[in-house]
Formats: sequence, C-alpha cells, structure tokens
Amino acid sequence: MSKHSALNTFGRSGNPAFTRNFDDTNSVTQVGRMTLDGAVNKTAILLGLCFGGAFVGWNIPVLAIPGLIIGTILAFVTIFRSPEKAGSTAPFYAAFEGVALGGITVFAEMQYPGIGIQAIGLTFGILASLLFCYKSGIIKPTENFRLMLFSATMGIALLYLVSFIMSFFGSGIGFIHSNGLFGIGFSFFVVGIAALNLVLDFDFIEEGAERGLPKYMEWYGAFSLMVTLVWLYIEILRLLMKLRSR
Amino acid sequence: MNTIFFSLLTIFSLFVFMNLGKIKASKRQMNRDDRINWSGRQNRNQNHNKNNGEIIEGKAEEVDDQSKK
Repeated sequence: MSKHSALNTFGRSGNPAFTRNFDDTNSVTQVGRMTLDGAVNKTAILLGLCFGGAFVGWNIPVLAIPGLIIGTILAFVTIFRSPEKAGSTAPFYAAFEGVALGGITVFAEMQYPGIGIQAIGLTFGILASLLFCYKSGIIKPTENFRLMLFSATMGIALLYLVSFIMSFFGSGIGFIHSNGLFGIGFSFFVVGIAALNLVLDFDFIEEGAERGLPKYMEWYGAFSLMVTLVWLYIEILRLLMKLRSR
Repeated sequence: MNTIFFSLLTIFSLFVFMNLGKIKASKRQMNRDDRINWSGRQNRNQNHNKNNGEIIEGKAEEVDDQSKK
C-alpha cells in the first residue's frame, strides 16, 4: 500500500504516457545496460573509423606523428580521466590512431612491399582465433593469468620507455630493435603478450555484459580492444620488418 | 597471391569476430571458480555493506529482546 492516499483510492495515473513508462521500466533498464551486441557493434564502428583514419594517413604520411601524439593523449584521457565519456573520446582515438597507423604502414610498405596487408591479416587472424579459443573455453583467463600479463606488459612498457629516453642521448637498448635472433625472439614475445591481452579484453567485455554494467562500458570495452589491436598491429609490423630485413 | 590471401584472411576474421563476438561464452568458460574478479573493489564494498547490515539487524534484535525483558 502506498502512503499516498490518492494512489490507493484511484490507482496509478491513467495517462498512457506515464503508464507506458511505468510498465517499461524493465526495458528502459535493459537499454541502459552493457551488452555483447553493443560492445561488438561499437568495436566495428571504431575499426571503421580507424580504417578511415588510415586512409588519410596513407595519403598524407606527414600526419602520422601528430596522429600518434593526439591518439596517445586521448587514450590516457579515456583511461585515467573519464572512462564514462569513452563514447566521445574513443571514436577520436580510433580515427587519430588510424592516421598514425596509415602513415607508419606507408613507410613500411616503401621498404617492404606487401607487408601492410600481411600485418593486417595476421592481426585480425589472431583476433578471430583467440576469440574462438576464449568463447569455447580453450583459453581460461584467471587471476594469475592477468597478473602474469600485467607484469609482462608493464615490463615491456618500461623497456620501451627506457629505450626512448636513451635515444635522446644517442644511445639505446640495441637488441629490441635488431633483426638478430634475439631481436626477433623479443618481437615474438611482445606479439604473444599483446595477443594474450586480447583475451583479457574479451573477458572484461563478457563479464561486463553478464553483470549488466552501464551502457558507456560498451564504448570502454571497445576502446580497450582497439588499444590492444593497435599495439598488436604495430608489433606484428615490426616483427615482419625484422624478418624481411634478414 | 600474397595480397589476396591476407585480404581474405582479414575479411573472414572480421566476419568471425562480428558473429562469434555476439554469442555468449561457453559454460566451460563462464562457470568457473577461478574467473578474474574484474569488480573486486565493488564486491568488497558490497560485502562490507552486507556485513554492516547484518550487524545492525543483530543489534536491533538485541535491543528488542532487552526491551521485552
């Protein structure tokens, strides 16, 4: 019984607009929740924007560096400042990273023709095969799995950062860029770590949809998948360049 | 030949991703005890609130008992 006597006497409002809203409370809640469909569709949108940006970068390679810088800033803003605004930052991130990847691919193509499509094919091939492995339960991500991947990813990031800083002083960590056996082995390792990060993204999206997280998490899940895909593509491109240069 | 093979691989992989991505993962994947706890902090808060709630209920009952006596 409601504490409002009018409601007890006359029942709920007869206004169809209000009635419909009351009756559709469940469907409104459903619309506001994260779903697998939504996350996959948003990933497709981001991939489309990335390809569009890549087309621009391919034709104007000079934009690669600005695209990379702006894309990186947008990624940090999305991760650390406003995950709930991923819907507005992730599309720009995808477009600017696309411009950067287009420019990088042109430089790679000039040295080794046909390397771009190989890297794209391998990236999406890994994406599809790992998705199958995850969905079927062949690969089971656990807390230890996440801890191991997190440590390895942070280690690689630190190594790249040190190498980047050392490059300003005319030095560097030679083996990670060399085309020797150690350099190629290192690239294989990094590609493996980047690929396994996809499994974490799949698990995050799957659990988010299962728990019914807010709708904006679809964009955030798609964004995290895009970040991993961009990293994986760059690493595969580097690996192929090392292999072709031998 | 190289371009055709990798183009087809890309298209097929995207097709697989778009279709398989929308399907829920198998029970073998989902019904595990050792799954990653992505919302660890939230759960901890929920448990904390839950425990607090239980304590308050317990106290309230004790007060009722005393008042009856």
